[in-house]
Amino acid sequence: MKNVKSILLAFLLFVPFLYACQEKTDVVESGTYQGVIDEVEAEKSEIYVKTEDDKRLELYFNESTELTQNGQTVNFDQLREGGRVEVEVEKVGNRLEPRAVRILE
Amino acid sequence: MTEPDFWRTEIWHPLVLHFPLVLLLVSTVFQLVAVVNLKESAPFWQRAGSYLLYGGYISAWLAIYTGDLADGIVSRTICDPTVLKDHEIAAYYTAYIFSGATAVDLGLISGLIRRYRKVLRMGVFCLMLVGSGYLMYAGHLGARVVYQQAGGVKVPAADCTEYIK
Repeated sequence: MKNVKSILLAFLLFVPFLYACQEKTDVVESGTYQGVIDEVEAEKSEIYVKTEDDKRLELYFNESTELTQNGQTVNFDQLREGGRVEVEVEKVGNRLEPRAVRILE
Repeated sequence: MTEPDFWRTEIWHPLVLHFPLVLLLVSTVFQLVAVVNLKESAPFWQRAGSYLLYGGYISAWLAIYTGDLADGIVSRTICDPTVLKDHEIAAYYTAYIFSGATAVDLGLISGLIRRYRKVLRMGVFCLMLVGSGYLMYAGHLGARVVYQQAGGVKVPAADCTEYIK
């Protein structure tokens, strides 16, 4: 009985840790940046990109975001963690609007 | 025209978040009373504080879940999502710290932990104090998102056409 209680207790307390802790993000000026995709959140159409100067950009895709690979429009599911991308962002206030995302490899 | 639908995805977060806010802060106060109160009523305050802590722990993770749902919508509209990100980070710290306190407290109450009970009891209280600090900071940042940037708020048209029947 004590073992069952211990397992239930451990399970109950482990579940929340399935959520990863969040990292800080950076704001950059409008422009084009190259980097590696750090994280993809498909359900939110969101990616995090680590730029070459170690900035972490949080980018929410919108209707006007163009996602391309070799000049062809591709779907969001083509984005992979660790993949290299070039992003064209516009800074609106402190929010980064992704105008274009190009998959480089 | 009719009033816009109230039950939007981002609404669930404010509906849930007040539960951990109240339960966790009040549980910390109850634990404080139990720590400083050397009279017979101390066990009552301690146990009541523990039950509030468990409710707060569950509702804190519900608030994290609903906050994550709201994030995908609110981050696209507010002018400074860095405040929202800081709010999210502070909320995660809060939930993790109170989860740790809950784990130890459950171990003490269930009898699984038999040694160093007084020290651990004080440790739980210290965790809850630190967690309360993060909780208030997370709340402050959340309020900045809502009241300074209208995060998750439906702003009616200037001529209120949505409300004309």
